[in-house]
Amino acid sequence: MTLARIARQSAVNSRSGLATATLAVGLVFTLVPLLYLVSVSLMDRAEITSGIVVSADPKWQNWADVLAGSPIPRAILNSFIAAVLGAALTLAFALPGAWAIVRYRTGGRTLAATLMSPWLLPPIVAVIPIMTLLRTLDLANTLAGLTIVYALVNIPVAVWLLEGFIRKLPIEIDEAAQLDGAGSWRVLLSIVTPLVAPALVAVGIIVAILNYHEFLLATFLTQSADSQTLTVVLSLFLGERLAHTGKIAAAAVIGILPLFALATVMQRWLVEGLTSGSVK
Amino acid sequence: MLSLLVLGAFPLLFIIAAALSESSLGRPFQEWVGADNITRAIADTDVVASLVRSSVYAAGVTVVSVTLGVAVAVALHRTVGAGSVVRTLLLLPLITPPVVVGIVWKLIFNPSGGLLDTVTRFFGYSGPPLSLLSSTDWALPAIAIADVWEWTPLVTLLVFAALLGMDPEVREAAALDGAHGIRLFAHVTLPAIRGVIGAVFFIRLVIAFKAFDLIVLMTSGGPGQSTTTPSYLIYQAALQQFDVGRAAAITLLFALVVTLVTIPVAVITRRLQQ
Repeated sequence: MTLARIARQSAVNSRSGLATATLAVGLVFTLVPLLYLVSVSLMDRAEITSGIVVSADPKWQNWADVLAGSPIPRAILNSFIAAVLGAALTLAFALPGAWAIVRYRTGGRTLAATLMSPWLLPPIVAVIPIMTLLRTLDLANTLAGLTIVYALVNIPVAVWLLEGFIRKLPIEIDEAAQLDGAGSWRVLLSIVTPLVAPALVAVGIIVAILNYHEFLLATFLTQSADSQTLTVVLSLFLGERLAHTGKIAAAAVIGILPLFALATVMQRWLVEGLTSGSVK
Repeated sequence: MLSLLVLGAFPLLFIIAAALSESSLGRPFQEWVGADNITRAIADTDVVASLVRSSVYAAGVTVVSVTLGVAVAVALHRTVGAGSVVRTLLLLPLITPPVVVGIVWKLIFNPSGGLLDTVTRFFGYSGPPLSLLSSTDWALPAIAIADVWEWTPLVTLLVFAALLGMDPEVREAAALDGAHGIRLFAHVTLPAIRGVIGAVFFIRLVIAFKAFDLIVLMTSGGPGQSTTTPSYLIYQAALQQFDVGRAAAITLLFALVVTLVTIPVAVITRRLQQ
């Protein structure tokens, strides 16, 4: 009996030992590339080619050069505006859509899936039609044009994620409000919206991050200096002849720092949003 | 409804019309040429090779990502001590823009003084500089490593959430009956979350088919054609050669291949979920 217990105890320990080792390897694989990026951002040209891992004398000048006198701060601002405004507009369209799909069975069982189907294709497919469209609307190379495109492209994802949250709401709340004489818009705005507010935050964060990451559409839709987003400017840096790798790394770190800070603070919402979709 | 029209129907009709006509970027639909663009694309060995390459790449990257992601998720679930800090750190690649992921791994694979070169030399390697991204054999696997790094956290997160949703009593009962380690995982945990794993496999497969940003940033499709995926060919045809007809024809073929590869996965997933 005691022997059996000891055997079981040691089995438990060795299992959690394996689990800890797996986690440790996972963490190293995850973090080393990011730490290396930070390390390179503090190197000068000679140090980068000399085969060292960490500079003995950190060159903060790279960071200063990026922050003052490069298009990066402006690009980060552009990225934020397009990401946040785009996400807000997406939610404004997606919430009524998701609610109608769940409560009124608009489009039957297939509408949500049909909406998602363009996601199967590579986004390059949409570039030419969207470019033509924006040029006709006189919105090419403007931040407004990019924001509108971001707002529209993400509606299917947002509907798909919101659906899971709305399904969890008890239908009785809607029915009670309707018995009290509230119309469907009234129910949506005064009853449903406050109840799914945490979900809106979660989905909003995810959509904003997707927008901030977006590269392909931005390359073609923002070809003027004052409308370019972070990803576009970074790729242009990389394409320069005699590019200074240390400065590119510094620009990349500065570009992702606000995102990492935000994601750490909002981690709970982010995880909830990603895991509540129709995957479960 | 408007957005459905603009983003679903409009590009689709545009692509079909463009595939059947001679079109340039500035002047689409100059002349109807029937199926010429499509038959020419099928006969083009570059196109066929890129479709095969992309399928192999997507399958490989997905299998590796899902295996690693499930392993880390299970480890995270079994390690009581791992708090939210570990979880946040593991999620960082997912929050990193693909363009930055490309920059990071380009730095690591840099033959003169990159991390890979430095570390292999530290362990006694003294041959010519390792230049993965300019080798026709190694460039695609190198991009695959960056891709796996970027998207495995999504697998981890979704599988971890599924593990949290499992009934703990089933596992405890099985453990009391003497099921441990691999057997516990194979007979109790895995059957309970196989539906989620199927769904995640599907999502990961589609994301891998769409790989584009990393390729533009890291190799521009080269060396030679060794990392040219259909997305990249479409990009070249439409926006560098201004041959929209050819781009649309490749798009249709690519859509067909993606559908053919993903439908069996979707069907298996549905069966696993029942």
